[in-house]
Amino acid sequence: MLSLALSDVSVSYPGLAEPALFLSDLSITAGERVAVTGPSGSGKSTLVNILTGLDRATRGSIVWQGTDIARLSEGARDRWRYQNVGLIMQDFHLFAGLSAIDNVLLPARLRLDADNALKARAASLLDRVGLGGRDQPIATLSRGEMQRVAVARAVLRRPGILVADEPSASLDAASGAVVADLLDTLSREDGTTLIVVSHDDRIVNRLDRRIHLIRGRIHPDESSSS
Amino acid sequence: MMRLILADLRRLWLGAAVVLVLVALATALGMAVTLQERALRLGSARAADSFDLIVGAPGSETQLVLSTVFLQPSPLPLMKGDVLARLAADPRVAFAAPVGFGDFFGTYPIVGTSSDLATDAGHRPLAEGRLFAQTHEAVAGAGTDLRVGDIIHPMHGRPDQSGSVHKEAAYRVVGRMAPSNTPWDRAILVPIEGVWAVHGLHAGRHQEHEGEEPDSHDGDEPSRQIHQSGGWAADLPGLPAIVVKPKTIADAYRLRAAYRTDSALAVFPGEVLTNLYGTLGDARTVLALVVTGAQALVGAAIALIAIGHVSQRRRQIGALRALGAPRIAIFGIVWGEIFALVAAGITAGLGLAYLAARLISAEISKGNGVTLPVAFEGSDASRVLALVAAAGLLAAIPAALAYRQPATAALRH
Ligand SMILES: Nc1ncnc2c1ncn2[C@@H]1O[C@H](COP(=O)(O)OP(=O)(O)O)[C@@H](O)[C@H]1O
Ligand SMILES: [Mg+2]
Repeated sequence: MLSLALSDVSVSYPGLAEPALFLSDLSITAGERVAVTGPSGSGKSTLVNILTGLDRATRGSIVWQGTDIARLSEGARDRWRYQNVGLIMQDFHLFAGLSAIDNVLLPARLRLDADNALKARAASLLDRVGLGGRDQPIATLSRGEMQRVAVARAVLRRPGILVADEPSASLDAASGAVVADLLDTLSREDGTTLIVVSHDDRIVNRLDRRIHLIRGRIHPDESSSS
Repeated sequence: MMRLILADLRRLWLGAAVVLVLVALATALGMAVTLQERALRLGSARAADSFDLIVGAPGSETQLVLSTVFLQPSPLPLMKGDVLARLAADPRVAFAAPVGFGDFFGTYPIVGTSSDLATDAGHRPLAEGRLFAQTHEAVAGAGTDLRVGDIIHPMHGRPDQSGSVHKEAAYRVVGRMAPSNTPWDRAILVPIEGVWAVHGLHAGRHQEHEGEEPDSHDGDEPSRQIHQSGGWAADLPGLPAIVVKPKTIADAYRLRAAYRTDSALAVFPGEVLTNLYGTLGDARTVLALVVTGAQALVGAAIALIAIGHVSQRRRQIGALRALGAPRIAIFGIVWGEIFALVAAGITAGLGLAYLAARLISAEISKGNGVTLPVAFEGSDASRVLALVAAAGLLAAIPAALAYRQPATAALRH
């Protein structure tokens, strides 16, 4: 449930004539649930990268609840992201040698932060996503099940911001629906600010608002509030 | 983090095993050379230990030591017969024992000498039986398969060439020596008078035995009493070597000086061996360079593999960052994974080197009786530490690459 105020942001890459992303002004209120849509190459992942501090904007400020992450050092952005952002990616990025629960706990472990309370929450979250007590190798899970593990991992520490980049793009329709459902209910429960990049109407239609990107810019006609 | 490293190594076990084996072999190569070289040095020094001073005819010091200490078959020039008598009478000498080679039984060298050398003047008891007391009696070394009571026929010449058997001559084994862990364990000791008799030489005797002129030119004569400790006649046949036990260390140096003349060459075997190793020093340096080069190549290969591995996993590393992992954790994972693998390889290599050196030493012992003691030394620790440090630095290269890698890779397709 963090609010965002983004102003005068542009992201340029060498070799590209136009900036990959150009946003003069964008606000998201705390707990708002936003869909980001747009054709391939329109800058959706670029937006996710700068909103989560994975990448630095060429210009502009990205203020989350008073913290301009554009001004943070790389290490400080990593820490800020760990504390505030849960990220779900199209390719799940689970680690094959680890069990489901070890995958859920991995980010906390890498920060030496996994206490018993967190371990208990990890187990209950796996229950919640329908994978409780499953101790099979991660590689033998179905793709839908993998993405559910990734959702549990993202919400483990009750982040203020949940960001998903095309979470159902590599899933079949039924699995995509389950993941959409989970994102919806889990963020609603905790009042988490939710940003989902997706083409999937089943997700987009559930959310409060839609931002449509075309060639790195917000397209006003197709952006809507409800 | 440990879990992630272990899981990763388990998953990539084949590549990990290859790296481990490479490192183990490179480590073992270097360590085995060191261990073996040291074993050779210690073993030969120990073999030379019981020979304080060796006197021979002028010629090669090295050959004199190799023939006397290691019983290496090769013809030595002979000294005049009176040297032994002079040495035996020298007040600085505890004992002077003749040494005569040339005959074999199978592959066992038959060494003609006196009771002094066989028992270190009474300090070293036999393991079994008694000492030779007659010309046709023999004492077998601990490493031979001869038993008391066996009869042996000496053969003249080197065992690998077809020598002539002295058919008529025979020695009866009357005792067995205690093991000395030197090539002498494979020797058969007989009285020098026996060797002379077999070769039909004028077996000179001390005055107390005069009148017993040898009458034949073959080994057919009856066994006779032999000379016990004490004086030797001056008109003995020529000898290839005399082992001298000086009374004191100072005497040893004086004797060596006194017997480096036109007719005699006195050497300290330890010193000759040290010089020999000095000569071999260059070869050792070259070998060490080759080994270091091989290790550096393996190191470079592993660094390349690791760098390739890291760049193949850009997205995975990006994902870890996206999930909030600090860069230092990324560094730690990559570094830890490579370092654990290389450290395990080094450990395995040390074991492998030890085993290899033991095997080689055992093989050498079987051949010539020298026991080569294989052991790690304090100085090895610094070599191992240097290897471990090199591994740590090596692992830091791909780890640093992973550390510097941008965090955005996870969302790119
Ligand atoms: N590191 C980069 N270097 C150069 N161009 C890039 C880089 N990352 C993204 N782009 C370009 O930026 C544009 C937007 O990319 P992206 O945000 O991934 O699109 P989307 O996620 O909407 O498909 C694309 O034209 C892409 O080629
Ligand atoms: Mg994208």
